[in-house]
Amino acid sequence: MKRTWRTGLVAAAATAIVATACGASTTPSGASPAPTAAGKPAAAATPAITRGGAAIVAIWQFPATLSPHYANQTVTQIVNYGVVEGLAQTADSGEYVPILAKSIPTVTNGGVTVTGTKMDVKWELKPGIKWSDGTPLTSADIKFTWEIWMKDPKVNTRTGFDQIEAIDTPNELTAVVKYKMIYAPYPLNFSDLMPKHLLEKEADVSKTDYVRRPLGTGPFKVVEFKTDDSITLEKNPNYRDAPEKPYLDKVIFKSTPSVQAAMAQLKAGEVHAVWNLTADQAVDLEKVQGLVVQSVPGPTVERIEMNTAQNKEGTDPNSKHPVLSDMEVRKALLYATPKQQIIDKIFFGKAKEGTSPVSQGWAAYKVPQEGYDPKKANETLDKAGWAKGADGIRAKGGVRASLTYATTTGDATREKVQQVLVDEWKAVGIEVRIQNQPSSVLLAGSCTGKDPRKLGTFDLLQYASSPGIDPHATVFQRYHSKNIPTLANCAGQNYTRVKVPEIDKAIDEAGATLDLEKRKAAYQTALKLLNDQVVIIWLYDRADLDGRQEIMRGWEPNAWQRFSWNIQNWWLAKK
Amino acid sequence: MGRYVARRLIQAVPLLLAISAVSFAILKVTPGGPLAAYEGNPDFTDDDRKRLEAAFGIDQPIPLQYVAWLQRFLTGDWGTSFASHLPVLDLILERLPNTVYLMATVFVVVLLLSIPIGVLAALKQYSWFDHVITGATFAFLSTPTFWLGLLLIVVFGLQLRLFPLGGMQTLGSEFDPVDRMRHLVLPVATLALVQIGSNVRYLRASMLETIGHDFMRTARAKGLAERVVVLRHAFKNAAIPLVTVVALDLPELFVGALVTEQIFGWPGMGRLFLDAAFRFDYPVLMGILTVSSALIVLSNLFADVLYGYLDPRIRYS
Repeated sequence: MKRTWRTGLVAAAATAIVATACGASTTPSGASPAPTAAGKPAAAATPAITRGGAAIVAIWQFPATLSPHYANQTVTQIVNYGVVEGLAQTADSGEYVPILAKSIPTVTNGGVTVTGTKMDVKWELKPGIKWSDGTPLTSADIKFTWEIWMKDPKVNTRTGFDQIEAIDTPNELTAVVKYKMIYAPYPLNFSDLMPKHLLEKEADVSKTDYVRRPLGTGPFKVVEFKTDDSITLEKNPNYRDAPEKPYLDKVIFKSTPSVQAAMAQLKAGEVHAVWNLTADQAVDLEKVQGLVVQSVPGPTVERIEMNTAQNKEGTDPNSKHPVLSDMEVRKALLYATPKQQIIDKIFFGKAKEGTSPVSQGWAAYKVPQEGYDPKKANETLDKAGWAKGADGIRAKGGVRASLTYATTTGDATREKVQQVLVDEWKAVGIEVRIQNQPSSVLLAGSCTGKDPRKLGTFDLLQYASSPGIDPHATVFQRYHSKNIPTLANCAGQNYTRVKVPEIDKAIDEAGATLDLEKRKAAYQTALKLLNDQVVIIWLYDRADLDGRQEIMRGWEPNAWQRFSWNIQNWWLAKK
Repeated sequence: MGRYVARRLIQAVPLLLAISAVSFAILKVTPGGPLAAYEGNPDFTDDDRKRLEAAFGIDQPIPLQYVAWLQRFLTGDWGTSFASHLPVLDLILERLPNTVYLMATVFVVVLLLSIPIGVLAALKQYSWFDHVITGATFAFLSTPTFWLGLLLIVVFGLQLRLFPLGGMQTLGSEFDPVDRMRHLVLPVATLALVQIGSNVRYLRASMLETIGHDFMRTARAKGLAERVVVLRHAFKNAAIPLVTVVALDLPELFVGALVTEQIFGWPGMGRLFLDAAFRFDYPVLMGILTVSSALIVLSNLFADVLYGYLDPRIRYS
C-alpha cells in the first residue's frame, strides 16, 4: 500500500545504494509554477504550460510487479502514482485529502460512526469516475479491493483489511466499511483500488496481465512493460481531469543499472529526471547547468539503537546488558555524538538533526535530544564509576566499556558516520568495534533470517526506518514492552528491549481513541518518556533528493509521497 | 563414439543432481531471506510473514523444500518468482533473446577478429605487429570487465558522446537497426576485447607450435603455395585447441554476462540472476543455476566430441 513503502526502500535497496540523506527543503524557485486552469501563465514571470511530449524518468530498480497488492518496492509506487489511485492520499502537511472519494469521512462530518468498540466508515465516491478502459468506478470496486486482499495468499500486508468485518454497498457510489475495532488509520486503508470487472473471475491475479499493466483510474495507463528495460505510460483519455490533464502525452520509466548511471544519463540529457540521490550526488548535480536538485524532508530517521538486554541469541528481555543497561553510559554515548558535525561534514549541511521516530505529521515530536558535549560525557561516566584504564578505555567492576557497532555493509555514508562516532566515543573512554553485516541479514526482519535486532545479538545498531502517516503501528510495535522479540515470539520490533510501564500506558491510551488531540498528547508523552530512557540516538532525518532537467516542470514536494505523486501536473518546457 | 556419448550423458545425471542439491543448500544457508524486502513496511505483521512463508513454501525444512522443488522441476514446473509471482520459465524466456542477441554478436566479433590477428601474430613472430598485439592482448586479458565497461562509458559515452550510455535501444522511438547497433557497440566491445585477448594468445601459441612441425616443411617442399600451407596445414591443426576453448564458452550465449549486462543496463539473463540474488528469489536462482550447469556439462561433452572429430588421433574408450 502506498503509505507504507517509504521504508521498503531501506531494506530492499540498501544493498545497491548508499544511504540517502539530506533534509533542507530547497524547492527551486520558479521551477514549479502552479499550473492554471486554462494553461495560461499565472503571472508574467511564469512561463506558459507546454502540453504534450514524453518525459523520461530514470529508475535504478525495476519493479518486479506493478500490482499494488503484491508490491514491496518503492519503485512500484513511483510508477503507479501515474496509474493506480485510491480513495484518499496524504498532503504535504500530513492531512488526508480525498482522491476518488468526495471527502474524508470523520466522526465530525458523520462519515464515521463508532458503536462500542466497532466502527463504520462511510465512503462516497466522486460521481462520473471511470477506469482507464471506460468502465465506471463503483462502490463494488471498494468491496472487491478488500476481498482480493483477504483472499490472495501472496499479498504484501493485510494490515487494516484484516480488521474489516463486512462492506455494504447501498448504492453505486457509497460503501460502508465495517471495522471490527477502532482502526485509526482508516483513511488510507483504500489507497489503491483494484478493478472488480477485470479481476473478479480470475482465480489468481498473479497469472494475469494486470501485474504488468494494472488497470487504474489515474492520469496515465501502462502501454508497455519491458522487463529491466522500460515502462511506458500513455495519457488516459478517461481520466477525470482529461483533456485538461495530464499535460504530458507519455512518461517513460527507463531502467538504469545504478544511481551513478542514472546521473550520467541525466547529465548527458538522455533522461529528464532521476529519483533518489545521496547528498554527495546531489551536490555533484547541482553544479551542472540546466539541472535542478529537489530536496523533500521525509519521515525516515536514521538512528542508533542500543540493546539494554544481554547481547546473545534469543536474549532474555529481563537480562541486563553489562554496559548498556547503565543509563549513564547511554547518556554519555549521546553526549559524545556530534550530530551537527556529521550533518555538516557528511551531508554537506543538508540534513536535519533527528529528534524522534515521528518527525513529520500531526503527531510529530520535535524536542531535540541533549546536545553534543564530550566534557559532560566524561563527567557523567566518571560520576557513574566508570574509571579510565591505562589504555584510556573505561571499566567498572571488571566490566570493560567495550561495545560492538553494526550497520549495513557497503554503505559509504553509514561507514563515514561510523568512523566519526568510533573516534568520538573512544575519546570519552568507550571502545567501539565495528561489526557490519549485509542489509539482507541486518534488516532481515525475522529470527530465521538471523536479524541481530530480533535475536538480540547486538550492542549498537544503526539503520533507518520511518513511521506510517498514522504513527500508531510504529510506536506500538517498536516501543511497547509487549513487543520485545523473543525466539518463541519473534514478531515484535522493540529492539532496545525498553520496558517502561508509563510508555506502555501512553501508547495504549493513544490506540484506544479516535480523538486526534488526545492521541497526539498520548504519543507526545510516550515519545518523551522514550527519549528520557536514552536507548536510541536519533542521528538525522533523511530526505528524498531527486534530480531533474530544469525544463521538466510541475514538481511539488510532498513529505509523505514520492516524487512522482503529482505526475499529472508535470510538463516539459521548450528549451 | 555413440556409446561414449551415451555414457557421458548418463554420468551427467547424478552430477547435475548433486550440483542442484549443493546450490540449493548454499542458497538456503546464506543468511537473509526473500521476506527482508517487506520488513521496512511498518504495517507488515508477523501474520503477514507467516502467510507469505507458507505461500512460498519456505516454512518447510530445507531437505523437504529441495525435494518439492526437484519434483516440480522434473515435471516441467520451474516454480514462480517470489518477487514478481510470475513463472520462472517465463522470466527466463523473456530475457533469453536479449542475452543471445548480445552474446552471439560478441561471439561472432571475437571469432572474426581473433583468428586473423592470432594467425598473423604467429606468422610474423617478433615483428612490431606481434609486439603490439602481444602487449595489447595481455593488457585486455588482465582488465576486469567492470572497469573496462565503465571506462568505455566515460570516454565514448559521456565525453565523446559517440554512443549511448546503456540500454538496448533509444526509448520512445520506433525500431531502428542503426540505433540498435549503436547500443550494441560498447557492451560488445567490453566483452569482446577481453575475450579476443585470450583467444589470440591461444591461437598464436598453437600456431607457433604447428609452424615448427616437420609436416610444414614437407608441405613447403611439395611446392604448395604459402597461403595453402598456412591455411590448410598450419591453421587447421592450430585451431584445435581454440575450438575447445570456444566450445566451452558456448554456455555464455545463454547465461549472459553478469557484470557487463549490469553496467550497460542490458535486460538479459545476467541481470535477472543478479536481481534474483539480491532478492533471495530462490526459484529464479535455482532455475538459472540448473540450466547453466546443464549447459556447461553439455558443452564440455560437445568440446570433447568435437576434439575427437578434428583430431582423429584421439580415440574414446
